[in-house]
Amino acid sequence: MIKIALYGKGGIGKSTCTSNLSAAFAKLGKKVIQIGCDPKADSTINLLHGDPVMPVMDYMRIHDEEPDRIEQISKVGFGGVVCIETGGPTPGLGCAGRGIITTFSLLEQLELFDTVKPDVVLYDVLGDVVCGGFAAPIREGYAEKILIVTSGEKMALYAANNINSAVKNFEDRSYAKVRGIIMNRRNVENEEEKVRAFAESSGLDIAADIPRSADIIKYEDMGMTCVEGDPECETSKRFLELAKLLISEDENND
Amino acid sequence: MKNVSKIIPCYAADTSGVCSALYELGGLTVVHDASGCNSTYSTHDEPRWYDVRSKIYISAMTELDMVLGNDEKFISDVVSAAHDQEPEFISICGSPMPMMTGFDYDAVAYEIGQRSGIKTIPLHTNGTRSYIEGASEAFVEIIKAYAEETEKTKNGVNVLGLTPLDFPLGADRDIKKWLDENGFKCICTLAMGCTVDDVRKMAGAALNLVVSHSGLAAAEYMKEQFGIPYVCGVPFGKGFSKKLADHMISVITDSDSFSPFVLPCDGFPDADTIIIGESITSGSLAAALWSDMKITAKPLCTLPSHRFFTRHSAEDIYAEEDIEAYLKETAPKTVIADPLYKYILPKETKLITLPHFAFSGRCFAKDMHSLINREIKEYFK
Repeated sequence: MIKIALYGKGGIGKSTCTSNLSAAFAKLGKKVIQIGCDPKADSTINLLHGDPVMPVMDYMRIHDEEPDRIEQISKVGFGGVVCIETGGPTPGLGCAGRGIITTFSLLEQLELFDTVKPDVVLYDVLGDVVCGGFAAPIREGYAEKILIVTSGEKMALYAANNINSAVKNFEDRSYAKVRGIIMNRRNVENEEEKVRAFAESSGLDIAADIPRSADIIKYEDMGMTCVEGDPECETSKRFLELAKLLISEDENND
Repeated sequence: MKNVSKIIPCYAADTSGVCSALYELGGLTVVHDASGCNSTYSTHDEPRWYDVRSKIYISAMTELDMVLGNDEKFISDVVSAAHDQEPEFISICGSPMPMMTGFDYDAVAYEIGQRSGIKTIPLHTNGTRSYIEGASEAFVEIIKAYAEETEKTKNGVNVLGLTPLDFPLGADRDIKKWLDENGFKCICTLAMGCTVDDVRKMAGAALNLVVSHSGLAAAEYMKEQFGIPYVCGVPFGKGFSKKLADHMISVITDSDSFSPFVLPCDGFPDADTIIIGESITSGSLAAALWSDMKITAKPLCTLPSHRFFTRHSAEDIYAEEDIEAYLKETAPKTVIADPLYKYILPKETKLITLPHFAFSGRCFAKDMHSLINREIKEYFK
């Protein structure tokens, strides 16, 4: 099973990249689960044609009890991707990190992986590894690899470096390792050089280079991913190439 | 707020279950909790504290440790204590605070094990569940860590789920004596009066005797792992003790043909005596009352239990208001329970007290009597 967590600065395009990657895996015949780990709960919206799934935290808030079936907190989107959102507390209250941990315990209790039997699980995680809750997706049993999404913007690279350092702190534990970078271009000056310099200094590989494209916005306005909207466009091709690369790495590991 | 108790206390928590289960095994048990909390687990919930030495530690976490995620301080403190104490093993468990911050017991135990070179067992307590869940996980993990395939002992028996939270001190000696009198060879009484060396030999048993729900998961694990069948029951009274021993022989001879449950509580759905407490001890007492005194009684299990024990009373009754409502509705003639239950009984109901350490702690410890393989008529006349 391929299990990957995507991290990166807020607003850098993690959900866009995760959804397109999910769609690409699905297009290649894989059974995929995407879990959005962000209180905004908008990770999977473009796999669901704009019709969002009930986040786990919302379910618990409304029903005042835990769900007893996966179907109560998931929706099947494009290509059969099972979409789940952790959601979060009432803004300004509670603890979002704890919400992620609670959701993960619940998914384990509901035997998510045994029920869905996925080939691929993608975790779309909010921003930095800010606390224990936001490291939960990279603990043993969850993601095995991490993709850091960054552009050439200074703050995005700063966040990428923080994430890489945080993961290094867990070297003594059986946590996920950073697989590489998804360069999500914003067309800033000398973008490729800046990202490549960061990658080189951190010993990381650029796993995918996603061009700045109007297609992404065009299809997101229609509530879908590029891969669904136009699998032949350049952006879709890059996500399909990344999915193929990750599949072949997984097969070689087996 | 459903589980708030206004009148009766709550049962000892999972953390206490771990400490009690591992108390005598020579390990270093570390609870991740604030300084001062050791008294909860090791004195209020532990009658052996003043007489038997054990290495129960508290991490003495502070607010800043929690906020800053000072795992390193916890790890280095435990490794340092382990080097001083040279325990047989290390176990780490926790309280509600590390639960809130998502403390990763598995990863931290791995790091402690790597640095100390001592087997380290993570136990995932959070202080919000009952002692049954904590003790249950501790028993399973200690068996996984130490039990080895070994030559079978004829009529060898392990006793599983024995802690002072459910049994008076000395219960292990009473059970060993009863086993001996009935031709069994006691291998391990997990975990009163036993050592890690006894745990190593457990796979040589022909049968596991589960004396409380805390031992059931370990029995199921040993059945799957070593093919050892199990029977649930405590040898209370005279008649039922004999019946239980006979049933154990039958299961050893042909485990496929006999149920692990020998207790006759399925025969008394209309019983007007209710026994409140841990399921296997309550069910066994119901069986003993019938065997020795022809009294019909049924258990009301207010702790996690097997469905077998709740099918004629009520399932999932844990909250004070539910227990009170059930007793009001059924209006039993007699209730056998811990003395502190008297405050929620219907006026007309007679209470026969049976102190339960996991419920009332030291308050009535001196009144706890062993009913194992003894005449019970005097106690329940």
